[in-house]
Amino acid sequence: MTMMTEIEVKGLNFYYNGDIHALQNISLPVNKNRVTALIGPSGCGKTTLLRCFNRMHDLYPRHRYEGEIRFQGENILANDVDHITLRSRIGMVFQKPTPFPMSIAENIAYGLRLKGIKNKSELIGRIEEALKHAALWTEVRDKMNASAYELSGGQQQRLVIARALAVEPEVLLFDEPTSALDPIATAKIEELVVSLKKDITIIIVTHNMQQAARVSDMTGFLYMGELIEYGSTEKIFTNPDNKQTDDYITGRFG
Amino acid sequence: MNIEQKRKLESAVALSLSGLAAAIGLFWLVYILADVLIHGLGALHISLFFNDPAPAGEEGGGLRNAFVGQLMITLCATLIGVPIGVLGGTFLAEYARGKKIARVISILSDIMVSVPSIVVGSFVYAIMVRPLHHFSGWAGAVALSIIMIPVVLRTTEDMLSLVPWTLREAAFALGAPRYKVIIQVVYRGAATGILTGILLSIARVAGETAPLLFTSFNNNFFSGNMNGPLASLTVTIFQYAMGPYKSWHAQAWGAALVITLFILMLTIAGRLILKWRYKR
Repeated sequence: MTMMTEIEVKGLNFYYNGDIHALQNISLPVNKNRVTALIGPSGCGKTTLLRCFNRMHDLYPRHRYEGEIRFQGENILANDVDHITLRSRIGMVFQKPTPFPMSIAENIAYGLRLKGIKNKSELIGRIEEALKHAALWTEVRDKMNASAYELSGGQQQRLVIARALAVEPEVLLFDEPTSALDPIATAKIEELVVSLKKDITIIIVTHNMQQAARVSDMTGFLYMGELIEYGSTEKIFTNPDNKQTDDYITGRFG
Repeated sequence: MNIEQKRKLESAVALSLSGLAAAIGLFWLVYILADVLIHGLGALHISLFFNDPAPAGEEGGGLRNAFVGQLMITLCATLIGVPIGVLGGTFLAEYARGKKIARVISILSDIMVSVPSIVVGSFVYAIMVRPLHHFSGWAGAVALSIIMIPVVLRTTEDMLSLVPWTLREAAFALGAPRYKVIIQVVYRGAATGILTGILLSIARVAGETAPLLFTSFNNNFFSGNMNGPLASLTVTIFQYAMGPYKSWHAQAWGAALVITLFILMLTIAGRLILKWRYKR
């Protein structure tokens, strides 16, 4: 299968709070139906980069983008891009599970209703489909009307993934999705991430280098707002070109 | 006396003083409630609720006019005050968060909460009663709603601020427009807190007399007309308690008991809702 580029980051600079230069001249391709991991020490800019892809920074004042992020050829940093449409095409899963204060079924239905799906039987079908997709269906099928807060942390995170998947995004962004979870829940999420790539493109930010090695096909290493090295995960973890990358993955700093 | 004994002594003195202060505060509270209960229970008769006042000096009659008037004024005040308070609080917490204007409005409403209610009454007298040349239930409702608004506004703002920001981001990340994020996600998260604030604000205004003296005034006859003077329990209590007749005094006690119980129930309901919410 030939590699297709889903997203192309070109010369991206990002500033927040007026003039804090958080991302410096970042360029990288994101391959379609692959998992791309962004790694690096705290404060290196990996989450900041992730939040550029769905224009999350635009919720806050005093930020500025320079450069381009081409998503299927279209520059999503352009001023006339509709954030709502963009975010329904590029979904996001956060560090801490973020179930809404409503039932399990309602959580999934929320995104579907945003897409204009109101028909009850269609909603029910799509909710089941999304929960199956996120490997949560068998655990919640008997308590669809229970509050989402009754689920465990790992289940909540899979519920949130199901909610994101229900909207049928083309890309899903994961921001350290397992940092609040125990090892068993983490393993389930990792398995899920790998299984999802046949349908969608995934970008995952992680603190955990073993996780990046386990789930990703491509890895980018960021340090102090710069992309130090980008390449296949195998190469980055076994034979990186850059000394800093080598120091980081061997645990010498960060 | 060594240092250990000294500390124990100091602790004992502090404990007794604060205990005494609590006892004094509690004593008056219990005294007032007991007094209202003892005197009020005797006057609680079905005719109090279903009869209108008897002509001055005659026995019998009730306060139906005041109960109905009070309900109408309080209900209208709630209908005016709650939407403004909730929307204002939403503006502060959701749209103007971190901006200067939000701080200014917050501080102003904190000041408004402690403005003497008679000032609000005379203000509404000046802007509504004088220009229209008559007292009215509407003026009373507006006066009470002015007292409610800052309470509801600040509670709403506080409760919305308690909803984690990540929850909003999660809704935005699904492609929700801002108003849907607020109405469908944030309000749900803060609903019980806001409801409690509303109940407490109703309890706050239900016992107000001063703002009604200049606005809805009083009416010795039954009236359902918000455009004219309306009786209210609090003003009636004021008038009857000052009056010369024994039967008036008894009815004032009865009315005082009813309104006290009403406010007590609202307050307890508010607390219970909060407790139930945070137990989960």
